[in-house]
Amino acid sequence: MSDAPEAAGTGATYVGSPIIMATVRVVMPFVFTFGLFVMFHGADSTGGGFQGGVIVGTVVLMLGIAFGIGATRDWIGSRIPVAVVGIGVLAFLFTGFGSVLLGAGFLEYSVYHELGIPHATKYGIEIIELAIGVIVAGIVTGLFFTIAAGVGGDSE
Amino acid sequence: MTAALQAALLVFVVTAAVATAVLRSALSSVVAFGAYSLGIAIIWVFLRAPDVGLTEAAVGAGVMTILFLLTIVKTDSPTVERTFERIDYRAAAIAIALVLALSSTVFALPAVGNAESAVASDDVTNYYLDNAYEETEVKNAVTAVLAAYRGFDTMGEAVVVYSAGVGLLVVLNREVFG
Repeated sequence: MSDAPEAAGTGATYVGSPIIMATVRVVMPFVFTFGLFVMFHGADSTGGGFQGGVIVGTVVLMLGIAFGIGATRDWIGSRIPVAVVGIGVLAFLFTGFGSVLLGAGFLEYSVYHELGIPHATKYGIEIIELAIGVIVAGIVTGLFFTIAAGVGGDSE
Repeated sequence: MTAALQAALLVFVVTAAVATAVLRSALSSVVAFGAYSLGIAIIWVFLRAPDVGLTEAAVGAGVMTILFLLTIVKTDSPTVERTFERIDYRAAAIAIALVLALSSTVFALPAVGNAESAVASDDVTNYYLDNAYEETEVKNAVTAVLAAYRGFDTMGEAVVVYSAGVGLLVVLNREVFG
């Protein structure tokens, strides 16, 4: 109750812990796979792009907590999350207005069937889920990096 | 058995919510808030809304807790002598009155799983349930509604997330890196 973070005010947010590092190394691939599963399998079971994207973003959060947020940000690059978000939005818009260009309504996936894509509706929905997932994962990662580097002097 | 579990979960969620409000240490409040989100996530699953439950568990209990923790690490926390915040009784009375006023609408809701409720007998609901698989080839009707029937709304949501996120990142980056 009374032990508020000792590091408060000093800006030292990272303390290397072999237990956390080892745990994250073991758990991370499973969490990543689960996130992708939720994203891709959202069409047939619980989940979808939003939930899957958050879980994929959580992998970066775990890496940051285990190996230092500054180091993780340098490894991934601070511009990549924002670029990824932009790509997700463009993919969504492209899929949506592509069907309009082909002469159907907005997001009317069945028109892609004429281009020779089998199960056009199902795969169209999967692409939309993937785009949403990429947007959410990018935003979660970007917010994490920026808030961690916030006011108070992040010297990492 | 299920009723007892649900009652226990409700008590847990309300306790965690009250603890979030009255605990004095910010760190304790964040932990209590994470517990609250986890309890709510399980309640969503009981209410047959696993999609919402998964979102609540991932965002509310997971990501939000980490973002809050990162934020309070940056602040100076005063040394805490009391465990609980002093309660402002007038504010508490107004909060309780609001809760009671809103709770009066709960009795107007149909029972969980009631087949005659307006939602279950609605034409739109039954159209989705009857045609979602033939028309969209996905088995999760929620996904069919979100990504196909209501795709334009979902695009709006995606763009809202994009603009809010990018706007926040621009402002925060200016704060941080000058």
